[in-house]
Amino acid sequence: MWRPGPRPLLLLPLLLLAARADAGNELGTGAVTCGSVLKLLNTRHGVRLHSHDVKYGSGSGQQSVTGVEGSEDANSYWRIRGGADGECPRGAPVRCGQAVRLTHVNTGKNLHTHHFPSPLSNNQEVSAFGDGGEGDQLDVWLVQCSGAYWHREEAVRFQHAGTHVYLSVTGEQYGHPIRGQREVHGMPSPNQHNSWKAMEGVFIKPSPSEPSPGKL
Amino acid sequence: MAPHRLGGLCLLLLYMLGAVMAGRDFYKILGVPRSASVKDIKKAYRKLALQLHPDRNPDDPRAQEKFQDLGAAYEVLSDEEKRKQYDAYGEEGLKDGHQSSHGDIFSHFFGDFGFMFGGSPRQQDRNIPRGNDIVVDLEVTLEEVYSGNFVEVVRNKPVARQAPGKRKCNCRQEMRTTQLGPGRFQMTQEVVCDECPNVKLVNEERTLEVEIEPGVRDSMEYPFIGEGEPHVDGEPGDLRFRIKVLKHPLFERRGDDLYTNVTISLVESLIGFEMDIQHLDGHKVHVARDKITRPGAKLWKKGEGLPSFDNNNIRGSLIITFDVEFPKEQFTEHQREGIKQLLEQESVQKIYNGLQGY
Repeated sequence: MWRPGPRPLLLLPLLLLAARADAGNELGTGAVTCGSVLKLLNTRHGVRLHSHDVKYGSGSGQQSVTGVEGSEDANSYWRIRGGADGECPRGAPVRCGQAVRLTHVNTGKNLHTHHFPSPLSNNQEVSAFGDGGEGDQLDVWLVQCSGAYWHREEAVRFQHAGTHVYLSVTGEQYGHPIRGQREVHGMPSPNQHNSWKAMEGVFIKPSPSEPSPGKL
Repeated sequence: MAPHRLGGLCLLLLYMLGAVMAGRDFYKILGVPRSASVKDIKKAYRKLALQLHPDRNPDDPRAQEKFQDLGAAYEVLSDEEKRKQYDAYGEEGLKDGHQSSHGDIFSHFFGDFGFMFGGSPRQQDRNIPRGNDIVVDLEVTLEEVYSGNFVEVVRNKPVARQAPGKRKCNCRQEMRTTQLGPGRFQMTQEVVCDECPNVKLVNEERTLEVEIEPGVRDSMEYPFIGEGEPHVDGEPGDLRFRIKVLKHPLFERRGDDLYTNVTISLVESLIGFEMDIQHLDGHKVHVARDKITRPGAKLWKKGEGLPSFDNNNIRGSLIITFDVEFPKEQFTEHQREGIKQLLEQESVQKIYNGLQGY
């Protein structure tokens, strides 16, 4: 009869070893780490998550978040941070299921959603909120992916911790003054419209160990 | 020439030949001991690369050679495998040609786009359109400010590459005058473009080494020229890392000085004590008191602060402020009598205005 004694114990160090190796260090691949700055591509619609100093004309009136074509706009850069200060030190790989905040690099506002309707599709409005990277509890998103860590070559989903919607694009386009940009909103179910992939960016390599006294 | 002199000369020639054939001394080129860490090697390369770059030494005919030696030294000593082989067998013991392009290594530390020395020469030609700059906040710990560190990042960016065909570029509005008849003209606005070779944006990746120099201050920036966003009709912008120094649980920074607090017991404050404070790099700062230590007393430890950014040999001070923890439980009648006798103090009940500096 199979005894459940030593086997789980044997599996545990193996699993830990696999998880560490998973964090990856080769060029072109590797885990996304906290402190990294990146652009996110919606894999279904081919647009990048974007924000700018343009406010919604309806809903909350906060700074708008859209999807743009084109890969060379600095306003599409977002910084990955832990769900709360101190939670994710520089170079720590982001785990699947981990809480993160995405801070828009150029305006210092966090990716945010709340119970307001989006202007074109009447889904949930996604905005950029806060100041100097500090917003509120509705800035927190959970990274949904398979496996242990968020890998750059893998598409992931972002589920809002507070309202449980998924960051999505379904193709509706704005007119003037942001002609051609797509609406980004929150939707209740996971599907191909809420799949995002890390593209251009400055990726901090996973640090071998935390700098601590006597260990540098 | 006398035979022994000839012999000596031959020996000397053979030795020199041997020394030359044995290859370059990479440790000497970088100016580091054989026990140097990877961090020390990176730091040495970065410092010397700035000094030895051929653009900076136009009058030195050997500048290019010295610069290449530096690149080769870094390439071997920064790689664990290659370093092991080099330590055992010397330069000719290294397998396969290690001539990777030296410009490549240089750009890991300083960026891509033709590093230029002196001032801000990027503003020379304002007519060339430039891509956006990117500023990345880099959080650093006080330990890293004390000892320095290197952060490796991977920069994935779109690069303009040649593509088949042509494209429209330098599009501009121009006024065109057309004649409708004798003495009648019409001015219209037209969009006029040139024809340029077609470009497409291709994502490329490279590793960059960001140095956290000892003593670095909050908001200091480390630029990487040309590593920002591309511009199809012009130059790429720059990537700048902005240092953000994190708060530390034990030490507070003020300039180059460090402040810390220690709570001692009432007994220790009255009869003295000895203790060690573990510093940012692990070394211990010894504190010994044999006199009475008042609450709020400050102890200055010169040279135990942070290194100055401009001169790492100069350090600030560590200032330790003591506070005293009074006993929580009340004393018994017997203990009170004992304390009165032990301390032999008169009753001091001085009333004064404490808020106006009296």
